[in-house]
Amino acid sequence: MSPRKIGAVMRKEFYHLIRDPRSLILAFIMPLCLILMFGYALSLDVDNVEVVVVDYDRTDVSRDLIRHIDASPYFHVKGALKDAHEVGDYLDRGWTTLGIVIPPDFTRNIRSERLAPLQVLMDGSDPNFSTISRGYINAFMERYNQKLLVEFLNRKGMERINPPVEGRIRVWFNEDLESRKFIIPGLIAVIIMIAGAMLTSLVIAREYENGTMETIKSLPLSAFEFLMGKSIPYFLICLSNVLISVLLGQVLFGIVMKASFWLMILASSVYISVSLALGLMISTATKSQLLANQGAILLTFLPSQMLSNFIFPISNMPKALQLVTYIVPAKYYINILSGIFLKDLSFAGMWKDFAVLAFMFVLLAAVTMRLLRKEGL
Amino acid sequence: MNWLRIRELVRKEFIALLRDERNRRVLFLAPIIQILLFGYVVNYDIRNIKMAVIDEARTQESRTLIDSFTGSKIFRIMYYPKDQGELDSLLLQSKVDMGIKIPPDMGSRIREGETADVQVLADGSMSNMASIRIAYTVLVLDRFNMNMIRELKGQSLDYGRIDARIRTWYNPNMDSQNFFVPGIVAFVVMLISLLLTSIAVIREREQGTMEQLIVSPIRPAELIMGKTIPYIIISVIQMVVVTAFAKFWFSIPIAGSLVLMFIATCLFLLSTLGVGLFISTVSSTQQQAMMTTFLFILPSFMLSGFVFPIANMPIVIQWLTFLNPLRYFLVILRGIFLKGVGFSILWPQFLALAILGAVLFAGAVTRFHKRMD
Repeated sequence: MSPRKIGAVMRKEFYHLIRDPRSLILAFIMPLCLILMFGYALSLDVDNVEVVVVDYDRTDVSRDLIRHIDASPYFHVKGALKDAHEVGDYLDRGWTTLGIVIPPDFTRNIRSERLAPLQVLMDGSDPNFSTISRGYINAFMERYNQKLLVEFLNRKGMERINPPVEGRIRVWFNEDLESRKFIIPGLIAVIIMIAGAMLTSLVIAREYENGTMETIKSLPLSAFEFLMGKSIPYFLICLSNVLISVLLGQVLFGIVMKASFWLMILASSVYISVSLALGLMISTATKSQLLANQGAILLTFLPSQMLSNFIFPISNMPKALQLVTYIVPAKYYINILSGIFLKDLSFAGMWKDFAVLAFMFVLLAAVTMRLLRKEGL
Repeated sequence: MNWLRIRELVRKEFIALLRDERNRRVLFLAPIIQILLFGYVVNYDIRNIKMAVIDEARTQESRTLIDSFTGSKIFRIMYYPKDQGELDSLLLQSKVDMGIKIPPDMGSRIREGETADVQVLADGSMSNMASIRIAYTVLVLDRFNMNMIRELKGQSLDYGRIDARIRTWYNPNMDSQNFFVPGIVAFVVMLISLLLTSIAVIREREQGTMEQLIVSPIRPAELIMGKTIPYIIISVIQMVVVTAFAKFWFSIPIAGSLVLMFIATCLFLLSTLGVGLFISTVSSTQQQAMMTTFLFILPSFMLSGFVFPIANMPIVIQWLTFLNPLRYFLVILRGIFLKGVGFSILWPQFLALAILGAVLFAGAVTRFHKRMD
């Protein structure tokens, strides 16, 4: 192994990279855009659901209910409609997702100690949104009923009843329940796959397509030196992407690592090595840029986004797909990242994930070396 | 405009595309893999909330409380840790989603008419899932309270209270597949039409056959027709295949009109073919075309409301989404699949798609002409 030879391959790769602005965009601008987009624009959290109300009752009681709805942190009353049919129209057009209809006998029912039906119409298309807002409605109504109960007991002059149990809820790891706190660390895994595997998937295929592979084979260059020279520039690109992401996450969005920075760097280095080895293996095996690119999207980008617990929970997938996720490297990396960013886990708590990633790297690197040696390098 | 020449061009395009065995496989398999992946992976339905319980009370009341969790079928109690430390490590290792700690004095406090504090620990990592789980936990606790009060008072407390009757429209079971699968129709159509059009033109340039086309009597307009018609046909076939998959494999109801869906697809294709042609004019290799396509598809996917609700975005970004054809196509598709609404309601989206499509396509064609001259 000679560092000089590795350096020469690196320099050649570096020139390729800076001469193709689109690769550079993919390597640097894309990650930046993704971080900003996920940090500012994309959120799965539901707060301040917009509500339209129809009040057929028009009494102090019904107006008090509407006031409470508006004042609650869950809802925001967007407007009042005259007719319940209008609510249906609003839902059809997608102008609102939630409508509350207070029937004319609402106050009468409450005053005469009966159940007072309240119609809630909800657009259930988006399951994430509707499951959460349904929970909000139930929680809100339960609270409001407790207020009505206290008023009732006061009216009757009975002793106050305490609720038997009260849930003291404490949220761990992501105390304010912000989706960006788990999305942005996970995004690092996706970015590395784009910048690492998708770019490296082209580097060996390119030599074959340009016919320069024969020249390389005739050089006094070992397969190991060749691969090192090809991957080090991309390793540095990926590592700087990780640093940029972490920095932006901290400065712009206040996402602070709970565990050690160096543990994060170690995990990232291992994961980057896996993704580069994967890209190089695809490249060596396909020998065509078009196929390598498609293969990289199919084998690296899609799984790291969809089968990694990034935004789609693995526990909700069918059993067969859950088994598939065990061979997705991003799953282990995201596990480590959430341990570092959210949970303050130490190496001892995550050594299994590290071990799997290291094993994957050794396996992929060995296969790639073997493929190249077979070619006569 | 000579129809014979266009027909021959279309035929040549089909032969060039389908001759390669690998292309045939990609064209056939890619949409099916996508629909299966999206259909099964994107799932926010709540089932099997994994839970650990520390029962320090071990009384009738605490067992009733635990039963009301297991009885709801949504919660599954996986562990009974001995102490707080054990519960903490279960949460840290993501073995459970929630932990509940029932205090030793629960029974006595309830009998004295006081409130017992039940500690609920939730793993908030995935905030949206955590919100749902917490809402369900609160609901179970509230139901338990109601039953307990009835039991304690030995009478039913008939006070005037609200009975919220929630009716969920369009997707009554709040099924994730019903929401995401129609979106895949849009995504597949977009991916195929964009990528194939841009590559079809560049292939001629890479292979040097573009010069031959230019010196042949084919006019630019005919060339554009010849290069787009095959991909319109393929996209429409893909759309039909994916829609059939949605209907018969995933049993997604289609409440609205298929004709309207077809028209919307054609309008949407106008935009994607326009973008595809445009990409072909700014790229010189297939590689560049694929990267540019990727750079276009990713943001338009994320800013379309496919997974991330547009209403959650900051207002400036929301304005930006008005320029995204996929946004309108998704509203139309979901409107047709789930809501069963017609043109009288969806016309603004149709209008927007038509305008965007016309502008994008005309712009691309003009640029394409310039490159040809």
